Amino acid sequence: MSKQQEVRAELAGNVYKILVSVGDEVNKGDQLIVLESMKMEIPVIAPKAGTVTAVNTSADSVIAEGDVLVVMEVPTD
Amino acid sequence: MMTINIETDVLAGTLLEGPMQERRDRLAALPIKEPRDLSARNRAVALCDSGAFNEIMAMRNGYRSEARGATTPLPSDGVAIGWGLIHGRPTAIASHDFAVAGGSIGSVFADKVVRLQRFAIDNGMPIIYINDSGGARIHEGIEALDGCGRIFAQNVRAKKRVPQISVIMGPCAGAAAYSPALTDWTIMVSGQGRLFLTGPEVVKAATGEDVDPEDLGGAGLHTRDSGVAHLEVADEREALRSVIGLLSFLPQQRGGELPLQAPREPERSVQELADLIPAASHVAFDVRHVLSCIVDGGTTFELSAKFSPSVVTGFARLNGVPIGIVASQPRRRGGILDAKAAQKVARFVRFCGRFGVPITTWVDVPGFIPGAVEERRAVITHGADMLDAYADADAPRLTVIMRKAYGGAYIAMGSRSLGADFTWAWPQSEIAVMGPEGAVGILNRRELAAADDPRAVRTALAAQYRAEVTHPFRAVDAGIVDDVIQPEQTRAALTAALQGLGLGLH
Repeated sequence: MSKQQEVRAELAGNVYKILVSVGDEVNKGDQLIVLESMKMEIPVIAPKAGTVTAVNTSADSVIAEGDVLVVMEVPTD
Repeated sequence: MMTINIETDVLAGTLLEGPMQERRDRLAALPIKEPRDLSARNRAVALCDSGAFNEIMAMRNGYRSEARGATTPLPSDGVAIGWGLIHGRPTAIASHDFAVAGGSIGSVFADKVVRLQRFAIDNGMPIIYINDSGGARIHEGIEALDGCGRIFAQNVRAKKRVPQISVIMGPCAGAAAYSPALTDWTIMVSGQGRLFLTGPEVVKAATGEDVDPEDLGGAGLHTRDSGVAHLEVADEREALRSVIGLLSFLPQQRGGELPLQAPREPERSVQELADLIPAASHVAFDVRHVLSCIVDGGTTFELSAKFSPSVVTGFARLNGVPIGIVASQPRRRGGILDAKAAQKVARFVRFCGRFGVPITTWVDVPGFIPGAVEERRAVITHGADMLDAYADADAPRLTVIMRKAYGGAYIAMGSRSLGADFTWAWPQSEIAVMGPEGAVGILNRRELAAADDPRAVRTALAAQYRAEVTHPFRAVDAGIVDDVIQPEQTRAALTAALQGLGLGLH
């Protein structure tokens, strides 16, 4: 069994780099996206291991805190 | 002192036979309700060295009035109180018994808890509260409420004198929910502990809101979103082990000696530090890895890990001496401060200050996050509270500036101005009112406006600003930072500083 896991932006900023694409397998703790905010490169981290099913943003986009950036399919506990 | 150990004496029937028999049988017959793992008494027993829990007033019952003047006894009135040794140190324990009237708080229950609180305060020992209670006992009316209030008043009295830890192993609802919030640390069992002022049924009746108990007061909600609880654990045994682990860092009472252990080397070698920290100050790193190169055994007992994770708070040891840790976490939200982070830090620093646990602060902070959202969250009030906590802390304060330290956030993170005993900076540190790019945007506004290639000019000016203004030797010359040290010298510098303050002279 698996379920959808939304990965949200922890703070507002610009999308600097997108490191994954749909279909990629990722481990817990992997960087999915790098945001630029507060003059910092801030990683968006996979909360669990799973497969990327959607990337809802593009490089240089301006995003707000709480925006869903990536959707993953993860195994249910 | 006559002590009764329920598990070994009472249940094994080694006490004198006679009129006590009935009460003893009732206590022995109390069931454990699913999904609970341990009885109220066994929870207390599991905390104590060799399982020796010395119960006080085990035989003091309460009574429930029934029809036609009859009464039903409530064994021990639903709470086991007593003390035992944990790591050889006396510790007071109150354990709610859900098997008796749902662990509800009546006047006898409250008398017993207050008795225990007074005992612990008078004799200088920590208090552990194992909560599993539906709240004030409804049929007792005002006497139950008065009992809850008396417990709270002792919670507040104890706050200035002895450490208090709450464990939430079942419901902790209504009036009962305030007691954990008045204690220092709250540990919740995942999927089992529930902490709310109003249970789901009453919420539904009052406002029509249909809410799942987990979403209303579960461990996830309180450790991630509300910050009311500080540690989520998988089961009851892990909760009890966590209590024992947490106590190992704490003195018995305010002004008491810190519990020393034999020094241990860090988990990772200090030589790894150089590789862990990216040269470019805008690239994130995991501060937990840095700490694991510095503290004894590489282990930090983290509290509020999921609540405002841009700052790490917890306890560790350095050369065997317990220390508190407040560390920017660049990996999460760039290590920024905001209203929530300030609340988390202020609470932690206040605790360390009350009990004399040295506060080590690890700084790589881009600033307080700006904007209308944060102003509306009263970031000024909460930021000021963090300043207040540091300035007021009656404990050694040691601060390491790892990389960035900008603006108000620099001041708030345990700066010299707020009373730090020792401050160090690593060589690549940048200390300034704001980041170089922002600073030159204001200082060189006209020049930038007139430039043909403003981006290139800004980069050049920022580099110049970084070299001339933000470097740590300027802070050293000003006497605001004591020394510039290499990361791998940090453990030795902190150890020596603690010894200079009289701590860790094994």
